[in-house]
Amino acid sequence: MTQAEAVNTSANYLPILFQLIVAGGFGVGTIIITHLIGPKVKTENKLGSFESGIEVIGNARQPFSIKYFMVAILFVLFDIEVIFMYPWAVNFRQFGLSGLLEMFIFMALLLLGFIYVIKKRALEWD
Amino acid sequence: MSAIITLSLLAVLLLYLGLFKAKKALLPVSLLGLLAAIVLYSIQWDTDAEPLYSGMVLFDHFAVAFSILSLFITGLVFLLSRDYFDSISEHVAEYYALIIFSLTGALLVVSFHNLAMLFIGIEIMSVALYILVGIRKRDFSSNEAALKYFLMGAFSTGFLLFGITLIYGATGSFDLTEIKNYLIANPHSISPLFYSGILLLIIGLSFKVGAAPFHFWTPDVYEGAPILITTFMSTVVKTAAFAGFLRLFLTCFVPLQDFWAPVLLVITVLTLFIGNISALAQQSFKRMLAYSSISHAGYMLFGILSIGAASAGAIFVYSAAYSIASVVAFAVLILVKRSRGSEHFEAFNGLAAKNPYLAFTLSVAMLSLAGIPLTAGFVGKFMMFSGVLANYHIVLLLLAVLNAAMGIYYYFRVIVAMYFRPADREEVTVNANYKAVLFIGALLTIAIGIFPSLLAGWL
Amino acid sequence: METVVTNLQGVPINHYILFCSIIFAIGVIGVLIRRNVIVIMMSVELMLNSVNLLLAAFSAYKGDASGQVFVFFVMALAAAEVAVGLAIIVMVYRNTRSVDINALSRLKW
Repeated sequence: MTQAEAVNTSANYLPILFQLIVAGGFGVGTIIITHLIGPKVKTENKLGSFESGIEVIGNARQPFSIKYFMVAILFVLFDIEVIFMYPWAVNFRQFGLSGLLEMFIFMALLLLGFIYVIKKRALEWD
Repeated sequence: MSAIITLSLLAVLLLYLGLFKAKKALLPVSLLGLLAAIVLYSIQWDTDAEPLYSGMVLFDHFAVAFSILSLFITGLVFLLSRDYFDSISEHVAEYYALIIFSLTGALLVVSFHNLAMLFIGIEIMSVALYILVGIRKRDFSSNEAALKYFLMGAFSTGFLLFGITLIYGATGSFDLTEIKNYLIANPHSISPLFYSGILLLIIGLSFKVGAAPFHFWTPDVYEGAPILITTFMSTVVKTAAFAGFLRLFLTCFVPLQDFWAPVLLVITVLTLFIGNISALAQQSFKRMLAYSSISHAGYMLFGILSIGAASAGAIFVYSAAYSIASVVAFAVLILVKRSRGSEHFEAFNGLAAKNPYLAFTLSVAMLSLAGIPLTAGFVGKFMMFSGVLANYHIVLLLLAVLNAAMGIYYYFRVIVAMYFRPADREEVTVNANYKAVLFIGALLTIAIGIFPSLLAGWL
Repeated sequence: METVVTNLQGVPINHYILFCSIIFAIGVIGVLIRRNVIVIMMSVELMLNSVNLLLAAFSAYKGDASGQVFVFFVMALAAAEVAVGLAIIVMVYRNTRSVDINALSRLKW
């Protein structure tokens, strides 16, 4: 993009506005139209949930095991540390050896945390 | 900086000691680590302070003095922890590690030289505390306190961050020196963003120090948390938050004093009255101490209000006196609660007859908190009030003295209960660590009261 | 990178400030009026993210990278805070079977 094109005015954003209108309009429109023109037959069997002919037992929206929560939370914690590696990786050559060592120290601290998690048996599912 | 690194590694080491079932080693190792950190800080005292790590931290006399105070108080809290943590949780190592993590955050808050470090320090301090407050997992009030503290803490962090962002938008830097230079370079064309930034920072920091009208979480959290954690919060954390508050305003915002002083004045007066009047009505000793800590926040805000060369020294002496007296008061409360199972004033009835030593040290602490002469609390209040008198109207001083008088009433209730209300009770058993802490606390309180220059000469 | 910065600068800075302030205010109102703890936490996240957006905008305008680095720290610490917060909420839920903050009134205000 050249410098002249990069100058922004509100008019340059008009296509985005159109795109929004079209995308939103299509979604809302199809939902409304199918409601209006579709045939409606309401019987008890049809409104029930389909489980390959087997009777439904209980509700599908049950709370699930707390173990999964631990895994998810630990994933969030370790996952977010990656954002410190992106800028480091981009400037890897300029940082030289000391940058490499610093990243190793950072990873070692994370590793210490991970070993602690394993030793505490936080990742065992039963 | 080496002290902060030592402490973070110490916390990791403690976690691993806990994994390998070395429970006996936890207390000695943590005390040794704290001692090493104090030594490392003391070495730095005489060297010329330069901002380190691209201007992130600055270990000037202010930072070193407050750091040593925080380390010392944490040491006292650890001495009280023998047998205490074992009785409320099986994860003892995590207790020590989290307190040390929180302390590391506090040390960053008192020595920051970049707003990024202020934010990171406050977060490290608070996140560890959220866990500590809720560490009694089955206890409902502990749960409730943890959730309230977490929600309020996260909420106030938002305000703090928005303030920092607006100041960055106005000045283009997070560095304290550059923010100050911006104010000096454009005295008449300061961006309106800067003013909003200061207001939001005041709101965020007032939440953290528990100043009215942002104090409402304080009594509940202090009451619901385990007593030793309350001790840590109301001493080390409060001191660090005030030191950070003062450091920010002292380094950067002095030229704009006419703008923020009226706001802070309203907060100060509200804090004093709400804290003291609510404390009058309390039946529980622990909750009374929580409200009194709000009113002490009010007195310390005077130090920021009358900002100047003397305010750092005044806040330092005041927070030292307040922290030492609080540690003694909470230590006695732990013992009384252990024997009577209650935190109410009635639980102290007749304590003087059976345990004269406990009653005497608690009385010294109460006198110091009330600000009676010959105790450390008096020296702190005196330095604070003389700063106010130099800068402000006499009416403000009268308000402060009126509040001090209210304070005397509720602090004396417990002394009256101990000495003049008879009750048949067992003698409270006191182990050696508690005796030592009570002795150190009472001795220091009286020593500073008689020779103020012991502490006042530091800053 | 250059084009991104010039594009960002095409929108006046006041628009960013206004936009982020509105998002921040929505977050604050959410914290104050909602009763569900999870929703309150989401509102807090909204506050933090409006701050991140504003930091990035200021950073692009000033041509100074430190604002963007600050965003990284905010994100990392917000993740830590959310992890602890969710753990606390799960703990409370196990004891009270509820995530409504009205259940939390045993301690007097």
